Parts: sequence; structure tokens; C-alpha cells
Amino acid sequence: MIVKKITKLPARINYLVLIFQLAFTGVAVAQGHGPLYGLQTPTLAKGGVDLNVAGMTLSTEDETLYMLRYLFSYGITEDLQVNLTTPTMIGRLDNAPRTRGNSNMPANGDIEASLWYRFFSNAFGVGKRFESTAVFGVSTPTDDVRGQVNVGQSVHAAISTGYASRTWYGWLGGGYHYYFGKNGEQLGDLPYASAVVGYRPNIFMGDYPKPDWRIFIESLAEFPGEAIYEGNLNDSGTRSTKVLVGPSFLGLYGAWGISFGAMFPAVQNLTPGAVREKYRVAINLSYWL
Amino acid sequence: MMKNSVLVIIMVLLVVGTLNAQITYVDQEVYGMDCAPCAYGLERGLKKMDGLQKVRVSLNDGRAYLDLAAENELTLGAIQEEVKKNGFSAKKAAVTVSGKLSKENGQWLVATPREQFLVSQATSTEYLEKMTEGNVTVSGTVDDVEDDNLPSQWILTISKMERIQ
Repeated sequence: MIVKKITKLPARINYLVLIFQLAFTGVAVAQGHGPLYGLQTPTLAKGGVDLNVAGMTLSTEDETLYMLRYLFSYGITEDLQVNLTTPTMIGRLDNAPRTRGNSNMPANGDIEASLWYRFFSNAFGVGKRFESTAVFGVSTPTDDVRGQVNVGQSVHAAISTGYASRTWYGWLGGGYHYYFGKNGEQLGDLPYASAVVGYRPNIFMGDYPKPDWRIFIESLAEFPGEAIYEGNLNDSGTRSTKVLVGPSFLGLYGAWGISFGAMFPAVQNLTPGAVREKYRVAINLSYWL
Repeated sequence: MMKNSVLVIIMVLLVVGTLNAQITYVDQEVYGMDCAPCAYGLERGLKKMDGLQKVRVSLNDGRAYLDLAAENELTLGAIQEEVKKNGFSAKKAAVTVSGKLSKENGQWLVATPREQFLVSQATSTEYLEKMTEGNVTVSGTVDDVEDDNLPSQWILTISKMERIQ
């Protein structure tokens, strides 16, 4: 197997300062008003425009990835939204875990376009609704090799259903990410599921336009398949199992939003050669046009 | 000559009466609005509509309060369509409407150039018994209808009625 060395930026650069500086000098983008990592359901109003800037980090036992992401969203109708997200990789991983990292804006080097279709919505009370959304996306990588495997283009599909109210939120979802082969190698596929519970404390129940904060407990289960590469030409059909859990926070004021959170592995039953994660952290700044 | 003058006066009165016919206030109940960007987006969308003087959206009340300009061409249907475009559900609305009260096929209705408000039988007999044709300003509640099938004819339960001279 040919090992392709990827040059990283000097470790002394204060990445947190860099992320905040870049986030506040540009127009921030909104990732919806739900979870940071798990699948969600909200879609934009018809004609609505939405931009996000996110800073992400993902750490394994030996390395840490840093990246920025930008997300542009447009509401074609109140139930159909198109998204385009692009990355700026600050540091890639020599050995990357097989993961999307973040269900809405992948924590890897892909440019991704997706459609979100809210196929069910029932607003049954003041401030309350049930809704379900289907997601379909395609992506193209900005790197040739990921985790020492040639990386091709991919498709992603997911479905999520959720409940939103003035106090409680909840979403359940599942998805599947499939990479096409490239030069005889192929990243493993990725079925996954997410579950999120959110709560808005009474102190933040003030009426619009007062600030609005809520806390989420997010969980993500991933079952990545094995990659096919020069040292592993046959897919044995075995899968790793990863379960990650963590808190995230969302603050909203008028057209602005900020969300931040972390996820930590609770379960990591990995196939031989799979990479063990330590944590994921993300911060996202949003603005609704 | 006398007969022609009378006809001209009647036509002028009809035109004047029609020109003043419009909605002047809407208190629209909205379901599904859970967060600040929801209210922000709806408020922005409503403010873009011609004919609005003042808009306030309340998350906790689940309502949009709209004061319409003295002369406007807005319809309740257009307002509810804007609510739908923002991803929410428009429910019943309290409205104040100035228009022509008339009786058609045994049913009282208040007409504006673009919409009609059929007077519901749930309206108090205090008003039903006093109804005569002419220009009126009425306040009342409009029944909820399906968001995907907004009509140009609404059912209105009147709670207040004044004659316009």
C-alpha cells in the first residue's frame, strides 16, 4: 500500500482564535434551528436564504482534524430546500475514521449538495408541530486520499422525524452514505442513526424578539463498513459499531444564531484497522436573510 | 333628466362604497411557530406585503397582529398564504372589515372587491335581527380553512357591527 503523506499546518497556530476570527468576519450561515450533529427536520420558508459558517474538529488517538465549513441554503418551497456546503481543510488526518462527523455538514473534505424535502408536517397547536424530512445528497471529495484509501464521489440519503414545541424538541433519524470506488479502492459505506432531545428552559420562554436558548442531548450511532484498498481487497462484511453522545447548545436572536457542542464515544467496537475517535467539537454561526 | 341624475348619484355612491371596502385589522392565529427565526421569518414576509401599516408576531401567543393601511388591497387569503409559505398553519382569524352588507340567496354577506365574508348563523341575534343592506364595518372571527384550499369566501361570526354613513 502506498502511504500518501499529508502535510499539516504547524500545531502552534491557535486554531480556536482562527475559527472565531473567520466566523465573525464573514457572513454567518444558518444550519436550521435544531441539532448540531443529529438529523433534523426544519426547512426554510419559500424564497428563504440561509448561510452558515462552522468550525469543526475531530480527534483520534494520534491526530486531530481542523476544518471550516460553509453552508448555503435556499427554500424552493416551504417544504423543499436545497443546500450546498464546501470545506476549508486546515488539517487533514493521515488515518481518518469512517464517519460523516456531522450529519448536516460533513466533517470531511467533501463538497456536498443536498435536497431536504419535508414530506410531512402537522402543526397541531400554538408553537407545536410534528414533521418528517427526507434528505438526498451527492458529494465530491477535495482530497484524493482519505485514511490512506483513494476516495471517490458519494451519495447520501437520510430520513428524520421530529417534534418541535416551545419547550421540548425531539428528533429520530437514520441515513446511509455510500462512496463509489476509485482506482480499485473504496471507502466503506456508512449506515447511521441519530436521536436528539432538546429543551428550552423557562427563562428563555420570553416572546420574540427576546433571546432564545436551548440545550440538546445528541446521540449518534454509526456502523461503518470496511474500506477496500491495496492491503484489504475483500470486504469481509464486518462492521464497526460506534455510539457517540454529547451536549449541544443553540442560541437565537432575531436573524442570528449560534450553536456549539461536543460528542464523545460511549461505544467503539471497531474492526481491525479502524480508527478510534476521542471527541468531536463544532461551533456554528448562522444568519437568516 | 331627473331620472339620469338619480342614476348617476346611485352609481357614484356604489363606487364610493366599493372603494372603502377592505380589511383594516387581522389577528391571525398561527400554529407550528416554535422559535425566534420562525417569528422573524414570518414577520419579514408579512412586512413585504403592500398595504400593511404595522405587524407584530408573538411566539407565545402564536399570533400575528396586523394593522392594515387606510387604503389597501390586501386579502385575508394573501395573509394566510404568507403564513403557509413560511411553513406554518394559519388557523382562525379575528378581522375588522369595512364593506357592503347585502343579502344573496337568503344569506347575509359583507363584500370587499376581492373577498366575501358570509355572516355565520352563530352570529348573535342582536346583530342578525338588525341587518339591513348598506355599508358597514364589522368585527368578528373567521373560521379556519384548509391551508391548501384558501377561499375567496369566508365564514364570519360577527361580534361588532357599525353602519358607515
